[in-house]
Amino acid sequence: MLSAAVMILGKDLRLRLRDRSVWLFALVVPLGLTFLFSSIFPETEAIGLRAGVVDLDGGQAAAGFVDGVLPTLIDEGIVTEVQLGDLEDARERVRAGDVGAVWIFPAGFSDAVVSESDARIEVLVSAGQAVPGELARQVADAYARRIEQIGLALAVHGEVTGGPVDPVLMEAVANAAGRQEALITIADQAAVGGEPLDAVSYLAAGMAAFFVFFVVQFGITGLLEERSLGTLPRLLAAPIPPGAIQLGKLLVAFVLGLASMTVLALASSWLLGARWGPAAGVAILIVALVVAALGVMSLVAVFARTAEQAGNYQSIVAIVLGMSGGVFFPLPDDSGPLRLLTTSSPHGWFLRGMNELSTSGSWSVALPAAGAILLFALAAALPAVMIQRRRSAW
Amino acid sequence: MEAVLRCEGLRKAFGAIQAVDEVGFTIAEGETYGLLGPNGAGKTTSISMIAGLLRPDAGRIHVAGELMTPRAVGAKAAVGLVPQDLAIYPDLTARENLHFFGRLQSMSRSAVRRRAEEVLEVIGLTDRADDRASGFSGGMKRRLNIGIGLLHRPQLLILDEPTVGVDPQSRNAILGSVETLADEGLAVLYTTHYMEEAERLCDRIAIVDQGRIVAEGTRRDLIARVAERDLVRLHVTGDAAEAAAACEQLPAVTSVDAEGDEVVCLVDGAAAALPSLLAAVAATGATVAGVEVRGADLEDVFLELTGRALRD
Repeated sequence: MLSAAVMILGKDLRLRLRDRSVWLFALVVPLGLTFLFSSIFPETEAIGLRAGVVDLDGGQAAAGFVDGVLPTLIDEGIVTEVQLGDLEDARERVRAGDVGAVWIFPAGFSDAVVSESDARIEVLVSAGQAVPGELARQVADAYARRIEQIGLALAVHGEVTGGPVDPVLMEAVANAAGRQEALITIADQAAVGGEPLDAVSYLAAGMAAFFVFFVVQFGITGLLEERSLGTLPRLLAAPIPPGAIQLGKLLVAFVLGLASMTVLALASSWLLGARWGPAAGVAILIVALVVAALGVMSLVAVFARTAEQAGNYQSIVAIVLGMSGGVFFPLPDDSGPLRLLTTSSPHGWFLRGMNELSTSGSWSVALPAAGAILLFALAAALPAVMIQRRRSAW
Repeated sequence: MEAVLRCEGLRKAFGAIQAVDEVGFTIAEGETYGLLGPNGAGKTTSISMIAGLLRPDAGRIHVAGELMTPRAVGAKAAVGLVPQDLAIYPDLTARENLHFFGRLQSMSRSAVRRRAEEVLEVIGLTDRADDRASGFSGGMKRRLNIGIGLLHRPQLLILDEPTVGVDPQSRNAILGSVETLADEGLAVLYTTHYMEEAERLCDRIAIVDQGRIVAEGTRRDLIARVAERDLVRLHVTGDAAEAAAACEQLPAVTSVDAEGDEVVCLVDGAAAALPSLLAAVAATGATVAGVEVRGADLEDVFLELTGRALRD
């Protein structure tokens, strides 16, 4: 049975490689779209902040930020420091978009910390830089919380000693606040060793996932094509188990799907600089997605009478699943209808798995997503097999 | 002589339609057996069961002594099928087509290579062996279609209407090839609705109509049934059906069929009956524009047995 299936695989691959459409779907179009989209949206999601500080306070609490927190953010590559003049200069440059955000320590900030009154860090954010702006706010909030704790500690010290705060003590405590580790989450992620998928990598993975559902059609609709070519009776009359023909067609779909995704992963890495993450994890996700594509497209094909009809049905399903999985642009990964949408598509789970591979750096984090994708495969393949068996002519 | 093919009581229905009804026959080594009947008579359904593509509702088929079923690998290896529709891959070359189907017949690579060259020679495609079939003429595609069926040296070759849509030259070449194969000892099952092909090729003929074999025998046996009769074909202007009904009333007329402007009668002694036939047609108000009279052949047998003319 297997040898006959392999013969059919060899024949079909030869035919497919002579057919230009398989090259288009498997390589040219997805790679072209990845390049196109990544050119249109160059690194729009990258978090890089051009920022500066206006210190109107001149006290120890502001110095803790300037001398402690800011250098850490610069070292991590999160912030590029911009030297600013006075407050008016800062406002002008933020308005012009030259600077993404400015932390302003108002006059009397340090005194307010010690006296437990309202110590507030102001943040100016440039319009159109939402993500860097949010980052600047988080940094300010985190530093304000630490300063608040310090203020409380100093107040307690004053009550205990019954006198004013020792300036030397105040400086030591402020420096300690500035030296503390990681004010924001991004610093933690970077320290572990990975970052979320960048735009090019996301698009490359999305396009590969999207088009593999088209590529497997070349195998899945093979039986219908044999029928329309008139060759099916001759295959059925050959001294081979009838199941070998179906197995051969599934092998064609599997090999084409696997080859398409692998070549796209390699080509997008070399040509576009996409980062696909640890090879073992990527391989697991790719195999799972190809198997899901086989299952889903087999189910769709059993409702068609001709190869053309099957192709039309399958294209509709591939587009709907791809769009709901967020292959063209990332959908927000929070609770609610959009999250439900991405989890209702193998594409969404594939991209989720890719993202986790990228942030974690360990192949094993791909397993939950791969498992979810394989559930799609099973849910589609079982009814497809049952329907096919019932309809089978032999 | 040992029968290569033995069919007994074959029946197959598709819903309410009884496509094949109690069909049975045998074919011996070196014998060419024809299934002659109009389109829709059940020939292709019978062949599909014999080749193992369809499971019969009832009856048994033995090929080379083995029971044929859709999973009977041994029985299938003894059969070479040439389907009515072309069964070749247009984007493969003639040689690649032969190699692929040869390998599916469990032939070794070297055996396939050798045999493919022989078959290409037989079907006259050696010069075009490495051209894709998509560039072939209809006749060349038909020849390749037959060549694939011959490749593994089957004991039984099934040819389902192999000359449909073929030019006269290719048709003659195909018929010549079938004669040669039968001379070499191959058992051939040949379906056609062309009477002259059945007459030329077949040692025995089964006349099939509405899923049943209505007569079987050699050409001589079958024609003997209507030996004293002539076929009279009248081209009429007017109501052909009414003219046919009038002809049917004449005692010399044994069978009548009408289609379009033609009335076809099987007549005992055409020379004596012709005046009364013309008079009967004239009495209906129709006029006879032409008359054709000839001796009995298989078409007359079909008309005699079914009451209908055997048409293309």
